[in-house]
Amino acid sequence: MAPKLEAVHAKGKRYDWGFDYARPDPKFPTRYIIPPNGKDPFRIMMRGYASMETEKDNRVYGGLDSDVRYRNANVAEPRFMEAMKFAVPAFTDAEYQAVTGAGFLVASVKNQEMRQGFAAQMLDEVRHTQLEVGLRKYYLKNYHDPAGFDIGQIALGNHPVGTLARASFQPFNTGDPIEVSMCLNVVLETAYTNPLVVALPQVATVNGDHAMPTAFLSIQSDESRHMANGYGTLMCVVQEPDNVPFLQESLERHFWHQHMSMDTLVGVVSEYYAVNRPWAYKDVWEEWVVDDFVGSYMSRLSSFGLRPPDRLGEVARFVEDMHHSVAIALAAIWPLNFWRIDPMGPADYEWFENHYPGWTARYGGLWDAYRAMSDPSSGRILMQELPALPPFCQVCHVPCVMPRIDAPETRIFDHEGKRYAVCSEGCQWIFNLNPKIYTGCAGWWERFDGMDLADVILALGYVRPDGKTLMGQPHLNAERMWTIDDIRRLNYEVKDPLRM
Amino acid sequence: MGSAVTVLPFGETLEVEPGESVLKAILRQGRFVKYGCKHGGCSTCRAKVVQGDYELSDNTSFSLSDADRTEGIVLLCSTFVDGDELVVDVSRTMDDLSEDEYLAGQHVQEYVATVGEIKALTHDIRWLELRLDDPVGFPFVAGQYVEVAVPGTADRWRSFSMANPPGEPGRVDLIIKVIPGGAFSAALDGSVARGDRLRLRGPFGQFGIRLSHRPMIMLAGGSGMAPVLAMLKDLVATRNRREVIFFYGARARRDLFLVDELTDLARDHNWLTFVPALSEPGAADGDWVGDTGLITEVLTRHCPSTKGMEGYLCGPPPMIDAAIDVLKATGCKERHIYFDRFVPSG
Repeated sequence: MAPKLEAVHAKGKRYDWGFDYARPDPKFPTRYIIPPNGKDPFRIMMRGYASMETEKDNRVYGGLDSDVRYRNANVAEPRFMEAMKFAVPAFTDAEYQAVTGAGFLVASVKNQEMRQGFAAQMLDEVRHTQLEVGLRKYYLKNYHDPAGFDIGQIALGNHPVGTLARASFQPFNTGDPIEVSMCLNVVLETAYTNPLVVALPQVATVNGDHAMPTAFLSIQSDESRHMANGYGTLMCVVQEPDNVPFLQESLERHFWHQHMSMDTLVGVVSEYYAVNRPWAYKDVWEEWVVDDFVGSYMSRLSSFGLRPPDRLGEVARFVEDMHHSVAIALAAIWPLNFWRIDPMGPADYEWFENHYPGWTARYGGLWDAYRAMSDPSSGRILMQELPALPPFCQVCHVPCVMPRIDAPETRIFDHEGKRYAVCSEGCQWIFNLNPKIYTGCAGWWERFDGMDLADVILALGYVRPDGKTLMGQPHLNAERMWTIDDIRRLNYEVKDPLRM
Repeated sequence: MGSAVTVLPFGETLEVEPGESVLKAILRQGRFVKYGCKHGGCSTCRAKVVQGDYELSDNTSFSLSDADRTEGIVLLCSTFVDGDELVVDVSRTMDDLSEDEYLAGQHVQEYVATVGEIKALTHDIRWLELRLDDPVGFPFVAGQYVEVAVPGTADRWRSFSMANPPGEPGRVDLIIKVIPGGAFSAALDGSVARGDRLRLRGPFGQFGIRLSHRPMIMLAGGSGMAPVLAMLKDLVATRNRREVIFFYGARARRDLFLVDELTDLARDHNWLTFVPALSEPGAADGDWVGDTGLITEVLTRHCPSTKGMEGYLCGPPPMIDAAIDVLKATGCKERHIYFDRFVPSG
């Protein structure tokens, strides 16, 4: 008679290993009390993990094969495909940081059951990284304008969105192990993977791209087990009352930070890089983040004294506006991008006004100007019209145009003899918690202060193979593309707003 | 017409409403099975169909393999009964789910309590204080209700919402409308007295505050005051900062109660606004300076737009139905309206 599954699983959990091939102590100490017993959420491991994941992989690659045959990459809306040039590398960055994060947790947490869960998560994250690289390769080979896909990860690394991604995802593997799990498993994966990996594929689908949903829904099918890792970790440590204030502070910190980066990323892509919009992002946020994460997940922890983030109302206020501000800020600095941005048109204006009353008055003029200057013959770019370049937040690295570009709540301050900017009270609070975490990163504009814009673009490597046409363009037309010569004629000098 | 699902190995049959997923039906009826995303993504709610026909929604394409489908494995969140009854088995897919965990979806227990003070709040509303004797601990969520056994009967129970917040061990305060001839409520004016012992069981119900940032509209009538009072006191205890407007409707002033206590509460906490209103003020109410009219009309006057707010409604079903319509018409999302219909039971 076959042994009961539970017995097999219990036997599996007894497999433990010591090691001398790596540091025996965690890289970062923990301030939490971690009980030796927890609840391994990865019960599926014993029976069907490998076969299930193999089948999922096969389906994704089969799906991509059929997309190639049907030439779907060129059926999809180009406006959406341009977003994939920065979004897919940003996701890949997240997955890679999560690979190292899960490995870091395996080495850090002296609790065998939790280790099992993190070990399986590490395998998942490797799979996700591979799927996303496969997806980018598909876009690169099949989309009619591959410029940007070709240097995706390098391009992202040089761009402010890459700095934003690093700031957002590096806490997956840096710092107190419990806070790593709080950031990765609880806040990012539980609160934000649904908007990222379920809601965004809906946008892809209605804009004709089936490859991204195929890959990302496969990824999402693993995420709930990662959420379970976070829940298992939280339930393990929250039972020690001394841990609760630390957990609360950690939740506040990572919830605000992930909100700044994820709500910006998903909001911008889903509304400004879509021709067809299945929903307004603020409604998705209300459902997935507030109703599901706060209303359901957090409520199960409230009996231990853990509260929803204090800044939840503040986050709600930002979600109304922040992605509109960042979208136009990214459009304003279009020569510094490695993707193209389609100007908003009358149908877009109507949609935005219907879903965000007051949008036209607030942002319509800026998009009018952007569109008017989209042809090289205009001899102007929106960047020149700004009174100053917006600094990037020293914590979340979103441009300091938050929550509204016409009424930013930027804070500029000096710390140990150097000037910094943060985008909001929330990021100021995070900075003050531990300034050392944030002062090591140079400001993005600082690198290029005093340089001609054309030279900055060349330094970033955002030029097409002909050596002169820019990767970034303020339109989607095949003709009338801006060249490095057009930019040099502008005679525009980049100035670090914090040195002015 | 609805159908049914039987959950093995526990052998319990539960009703399933038309269009309702099996998972939703199980959770709605106070039972627990493992689940995660609730939309076919995570495979946590796997079960094997033993008998019956079903439809599986398309969102399981990645989470169920071909082999799973051949074997009859489903995800309960994405399974819909096609026919009269479906039998599902979770014994191999959720092998560490114990019967206690399954049944204790709501941690229902029986208690013995001693009657404390009984006082008249109005001509037909009573305040009943109970002290739990065994066991003393009674974990519940503000907004939930308890069942009280009618004295002298083996299995006749009456349902009442707690008016006190959790966190006061051993205490259960109830607000009870006296129904003439009612088996339990009428006894409060006679045969039930301080020191008597009563049997209770609970807690029950899903009514309670959802954690969010949204302002809350609370609206109650009659003994529907009880869960709202518990929720307000719980909000005080948990240092609430969300805005709350509490509308309480009564026919005439003789039907109003706890007005001073609630007015004081609102004075002490600037997040709370209390709006009592009379729908049929009588001759004796000539000096009433508060709102008048149906409570739903009063709600509309004070809150022409309820967009971005949550509604918590408690009281007679017609009042709740009318309030739901008003909230939806003024912008509140239907999924953010929570209610507990109070059906008279003496």
